[in-house]
Amino acid sequence: MKELKTQTLHEYFECLTIKPMRQTELVALLNEITIGETCFFRSQPQLDAMRTIIIPKVLVAKAKFPLRRLRIWSAGCSTGEEPYTLSMLPLEEAARRLKDWTIEILATDLNERSLAHAKNAIYGSYSTRNLTPYYRQKYFMAVGEQLQVQPAARNSITFSRLNLSDDARMTFMKSLDVVFCCNVLIYFDLVSKRRVIQHFYNNLLPHGYLFLRHSESLYGVNDDFRLVHLPGATAYIKGERTQAGKQDT
Amino acid sequence: MNTAATKATLLNRIEGLYQIPTIPAVLSPLLRYLQKPVEELDVQKVTAMIAQDKSLAAQCLQMANSPLFGRWQKVDSLRGAVIGLGFHRVGDIAMSCGVLNMMHKDCGGIDPVAFWEHSLGCALVCRHFARKISYPDPSKAYLAGLLHDLGIIVDLWVLPKEFSAAFKVARSEGIPLHEAEQKVLGFTHCESGSLLAEKWELPPDLREVVSLHHNLQQSREHAGLVAVVELSDLLCRLSGLNYGYIENRQVNLLKQTGFAVLSQQCAGLKDFDWARLTFELDSYMDEVHSLVRAIYRT
Repeated sequence: MKELKTQTLHEYFECLTIKPMRQTELVALLNEITIGETCFFRSQPQLDAMRTIIIPKVLVAKAKFPLRRLRIWSAGCSTGEEPYTLSMLPLEEAARRLKDWTIEILATDLNERSLAHAKNAIYGSYSTRNLTPYYRQKYFMAVGEQLQVQPAARNSITFSRLNLSDDARMTFMKSLDVVFCCNVLIYFDLVSKRRVIQHFYNNLLPHGYLFLRHSESLYGVNDDFRLVHLPGATAYIKGERTQAGKQDT
Repeated sequence: MNTAATKATLLNRIEGLYQIPTIPAVLSPLLRYLQKPVEELDVQKVTAMIAQDKSLAAQCLQMANSPLFGRWQKVDSLRGAVIGLGFHRVGDIAMSCGVLNMMHKDCGGIDPVAFWEHSLGCALVCRHFARKISYPDPSKAYLAGLLHDLGIIVDLWVLPKEFSAAFKVARSEGIPLHEAEQKVLGFTHCESGSLLAEKWELPPDLREVVSLHHNLQQSREHAGLVAVVELSDLLCRLSGLNYGYIENRQVNLLKQTGFAVLSQQCAGLKDFDWARLTFELDSYMDEVHSLVRAIYRT
């Protein structure tokens, strides 16, 4: 408001909605208010489940598909720690289970500043606090006092700016095996939340998985997904519809 | 190893049960006394009964001060605990301490603390879950959760080596303990537990829980209580309140027999937030770990 020399909230609201600068100002505002706090290997049980249970299940489900591709979406990737962590898991399996598989990690966020940080891939000690010496040595290189993600863990990731409320663009995020959407839904009201979750449901393949933040629940938001318990973590899978339109339990 | 012959030998040893400690002497009369209507109960009498066993009394006080039992202000006497927490909560606490004391402390390389934690954790989750789905007797659910793995206590006393072998298979393969026991011993802790439950003359509902919590399909009379335990036990084993190892699998609770059984009995289950229950369970974990470790040290 100070930068735009607006005096009242109403004037600022006009800058966001009516005046020609509205698009630029909206992005600037979102950049200020949507910075997420995250780190590498934030939820180890989720990642363990991903590696030991979900990847093997997805591979079984896709055994008959001609295209050997694993597609993971980090929706609300913030400054990139989550997608880079997710790219390291398949790399660890590249010589075994995922030999000859193409890995695609789509990383999207609303905040341009976060995305710029993510693309730069340089992180300080706070973000890298959970890294084991093994991962630190294998996937990072020192840049001054900070660490930069090595190209091997960056190659499979595509970063792009996406508003999860943008229905038109959401419909194009197709053929997904796993979606991670952690600490994002808290910013949405119930109606928007329902829409976003429905997009996830539509865009996931039939065997697909949705991970939310540990304490987020789809109770009262969506009845199509089914909660499953994994060791130390929970995830959602697509329920199978019966002829009556109801779901099997 | 001939499994059938081994099973017969081991079950014979269990049936002897000569090594297994009994419930602390003060507990049976206490629990019998607590069956009376609340208006007939006397604070002084309950306090005096627990105080007969000094170590049990000290452990009860420690537990009574845990937020797990709903007390946020420090309780410094048994009398204060009975008044502050109520007769039945104190009965639950005394029984929990009694069961924990029965765990063998030298278990052939296995850490007994994990089994304590699982039993206490399961008891708390059973009670919490029972309340949430309006199951008629949450206090009974607590006791059922606490005692469901009685068979493990038996096995640790009577056949520590054999049980330890089964446990190691379970841990290395990431499979449920009862499946490993079936493979290695030819029977599960449900069978050994049911022998002790019978010897102790536990009420029929608790005996059914002990013997059928991994085989709910066979439960007839008390399927609801067994189902509460089956689901709570599963949730604990997939969380940090497991036996000290991770079962490497994916579980859909809605496909468990326990869910089908309870859906018919408890209206509260039709519209239930399982994810929320899981997060609430997680909030117990640290408390259970520190409480059990504190008691184990005393």
